[in-house]
Amino acid sequence: MKIALLLAVAVLGAAASSASGASTPGVSATSIAIGSSGPLTGEAAAAAGVLRGADGYFKYVNAHGGVHGRKIQFTYLDDGYDPSRTVNNVRQLIQQNNVFALFSVVGTNENLAIRDFTNAAGVPQVFSAAGATTFGRDYAKYPWTIGYLPPYHEEGEIYAKNILKTQPKAKIAVLYQSDDYGRDLLAGFRAGLGGKARSAIVQTVGYDPTATDVQSQVAQLKASGANTFMIFAFGKFAIQAFVYANKLGWKPQIYVNDVASASSIMALDPASTAEGSISILWGKDPATPAFAKDPGVKLAAQVIKQYIPGGNPSDGFLVAGMAEAYSLVDALKAAGKNLTRQSLMTAVTHMNETSNPFLAPGVTVRTTPASRFPISHVRLQRWHKGHWVPFGGLVSGRL
Amino acid sequence: MRRLYAVGVTVLVLVLLPFVLSEFRTVQLATVGAYFIAVLGLDVLLESGQVSLGHGAFMAVGGYTTAILMANHGVQDVWTIPIAAGVAGGLGLLFGIPALRLSGSYLALATFAIAIVLPTLLKKFDHFTGGSTGITLFGRPTQTGHGTGYLGLTNNTWLYALTWLVGVLVFLLAWWLLASRFGRSLRAVRDSELAAAASGVNRSAYKVAAFGVSAAYAGAAGALYAINVAYVSPDTFPIQLSLFLLVGAVMGAFGSIWGALAGALLIQFLPDIVGVLPHVDTKQAGPATFFYGAVLVALILLLPFVLRVASSIADRSYSRTP
Amino acid sequence: MANFLQQVVSGLASGGIYGSLALALVIIYRSTGVLNFAQGELATLSTFVCLALLDHGWSFWPAFAATLALSFAGGLVLQRTVVRPAQRGPQIGVVILTIGLLIAVNGLTTWIWGGAARQFPGPFSTAPIHVGGVAFSKQDLGVIAVSLVTVALVGLLFSRTKLGLGLRATAVNPNEARLVGVPVGWLLGVGWGLAAAIGAVAGVMAAPSLFLEPNMMQAVLLYAFAAAVLGGMDSPLGAVVGGLILGVLLNLLGTYVHWVGGELRLAAALAVILGVLLVRPSGLFGSRSVTRA
Repeated sequence: MKIALLLAVAVLGAAASSASGASTPGVSATSIAIGSSGPLTGEAAAAAGVLRGADGYFKYVNAHGGVHGRKIQFTYLDDGYDPSRTVNNVRQLIQQNNVFALFSVVGTNENLAIRDFTNAAGVPQVFSAAGATTFGRDYAKYPWTIGYLPPYHEEGEIYAKNILKTQPKAKIAVLYQSDDYGRDLLAGFRAGLGGKARSAIVQTVGYDPTATDVQSQVAQLKASGANTFMIFAFGKFAIQAFVYANKLGWKPQIYVNDVASASSIMALDPASTAEGSISILWGKDPATPAFAKDPGVKLAAQVIKQYIPGGNPSDGFLVAGMAEAYSLVDALKAAGKNLTRQSLMTAVTHMNETSNPFLAPGVTVRTTPASRFPISHVRLQRWHKGHWVPFGGLVSGRL
Repeated sequence: MRRLYAVGVTVLVLVLLPFVLSEFRTVQLATVGAYFIAVLGLDVLLESGQVSLGHGAFMAVGGYTTAILMANHGVQDVWTIPIAAGVAGGLGLLFGIPALRLSGSYLALATFAIAIVLPTLLKKFDHFTGGSTGITLFGRPTQTGHGTGYLGLTNNTWLYALTWLVGVLVFLLAWWLLASRFGRSLRAVRDSELAAAASGVNRSAYKVAAFGVSAAYAGAAGALYAINVAYVSPDTFPIQLSLFLLVGAVMGAFGSIWGALAGALLIQFLPDIVGVLPHVDTKQAGPATFFYGAVLVALILLLPFVLRVASSIADRSYSRTP
Repeated sequence: MANFLQQVVSGLASGGIYGSLALALVIIYRSTGVLNFAQGELATLSTFVCLALLDHGWSFWPAFAATLALSFAGGLVLQRTVVRPAQRGPQIGVVILTIGLLIAVNGLTTWIWGGAARQFPGPFSTAPIHVGGVAFSKQDLGVIAVSLVTVALVGLLFSRTKLGLGLRATAVNPNEARLVGVPVGWLLGVGWGLAAAIGAVAGVMAAPSLFLEPNMMQAVLLYAFAAAVLGGMDSPLGAVVGGLILGVLLNLLGTYVHWVGGELRLAAALAVILGVLLVRPSGLFGSRSVTRA
């Protein structure tokens, strides 16, 4: 009996009633509450760097006066890359923390899981850190949702087009991670090759992220006799793919997808392992010598030093997060002093941002109400003697 | 009798809580209710001397049954709960048969392996399960929340009410089962298989039945969880959940409902508890995971002490120890 | 044909890794009766320690020796402080404890060294050797060789030394062992220390191929359990042989059975575990009968 009462008291003690909403939830005279969810723990924890990078940049902006006199309060929660936890987090952020908008939620499945909920509640879900095409395409049904990254599907198309142009007789082998991320890349790649897909792609092999290594898969791909190797893999699997190809004595033209192209991953031993590989470029990788004296990279380093304790200045995820944060601040400014959720969405669908210091030169953020892919044009880069070297002009896939 | 009184008071508290707490806390407690049901089921299994490190898998079966029935067959949410329990229970019975051949550690290993592999299987059979994208149940007004109309409840409160209604029901069922001849036979099997056999107890039948019942409970819990979050994916019921269910069940063993309740609360709120530790930056992967594990280790080390305290309270309060 | 041979050879290479961690699992099971779910994470931690020494300028073999010693000490201390109290409670408590350790050690490793994968310079060259269209490296051979040497050493320990006798007695019947004066408490600690040291060997041998990161052994753990079960939970040789067989089997299934492909290898390992436990619980080389009660 006493235990029951104690239990009740304990639970009550732990509970907090939610604050009553202002006229625009999450916006006060002095602050804007922004929320997010990402894999702070678990296998994909590296990707949560975008949230830390954004957080650092927001703190920088706050220290310089904020947006229309309001400071950005950024709250982000851990979902361990489990979409059902994302749902719970978003529920908490909206119902308990009263956020004004959701920003840069990480992961395709995570964003899909919450999309119905956010749109039904009329809460902006902007600049999702996910590459699925649907976030830019299905705005009629989901007007409150918009992506940011070049969609993986489109990335695949860009590689396909480059191959058609430079290696018309290529025989292609593909290693892909067996989830939406890898499959999207592969689907875009096939679409980009068009009629030639069937003849050009000689072998595709998938792997589950629970695998220990991809030796067997790479051996299988080499045995197909391909001279071009698409690595649509993540983290250590990408490293292994490079190393095993090298070990097996296979020297194809390698294309590696953007998420696995961080310089820290590419710096392999022996140095020749990754030589000549191609990837796309949209954010400034701080380790690329072409950007060594770049003011944007310097700003990123400053933000990291001041506001992100323990942050690694070469971490591309941090810079990507800052790029997104910069765009959000741009949008918040454009949305005006009389900030509402609707005015934010209007700003977000009328973007014309050319001065983002964290994006590669020439890469812009452009949206219209009918074209909701903020970054649609990127550049290509080639790994040469230990660094990425951009080449060619702007490219894009078919949208 | 005293126990009935205690349960009555708890029910009263449960009914009153939503009026005092915020909407969000209410729906959080609904999730706690789902965990509570799963933990109760696992307690039934422990009572028979068997162990499962993979009960999250049975929750997944229940959750996916609900999701598929609602998404593809238009079934109303409430009716999926007994079906989910049935499907999971059936699988539990099926698994219980070969499980008879496995001793403690090996059964733990086998159930552990199943729980780890299940997400992979769910991703593979994506025509059926929606693959890694999962199944969204949000926005089906004809199939969900009918209680809100009848009783004027909000959606969150309705979820809370539904979950705890089922929770109280299955608790009473478990209580009755464990106090009855079924429970006595289970405990006989647990304590001495030889003696149980000598007294004519069909050990195998009881052990398999225990698996079936506990799996059915987990299935119902999974169904309620799916209804609550309105979404399932292969990652919704990971191995960590199975392990924490076990922790909760161990706390709730020896017939202590409070242990089971505490276990369920722990599963829900441990991340928040870890978050209040001083000098810990829980935004970083390392510290958060470390303290999560450290709390688990601490719990196990404290457990004999806790159990001694709990059983001495139990001895004093009740005329008959279970 | 060339691909078939390559898959077999690569399978032996991966299998060598599974077998070496399986060896640690078998050792700890044989000397303490515990299935240690944290074995993989402890091995990863040891490997990071080795890397730290290497980064400080130590050369490989001294760093390796120091890592082994530290791992042994760490395992011993762990058993004496954290595992021992849990072993007084219900058996299931120890299982949960090892899982708590799994989580905590993984978190600790991530906290100290971060989550990024990095290359680990092993003692054997990873340069490829090509024989008849098949590629492997000295590293691959090295893993298998080191595992077999360890099996031999452990076998000698268990069968020829007093310490080994004490360890076996402790595992089979601690109470009676205590009665005849065997220092059961300390021997349990030694068992953990030994397993931790062997785990360190497994980690250091695996890291050059798998690339070192906190989650390196998480995936390997289930395969290692499968290898240990296949070989017989109390047979060190069985662990290594089981690992080799499993590695080749998974590669062949993955390559030639399209339905298994790349996605269901883990499920195949599960099938091996369940199959062996249900059909022939003592595995290929295990000797003890498995009690059911």
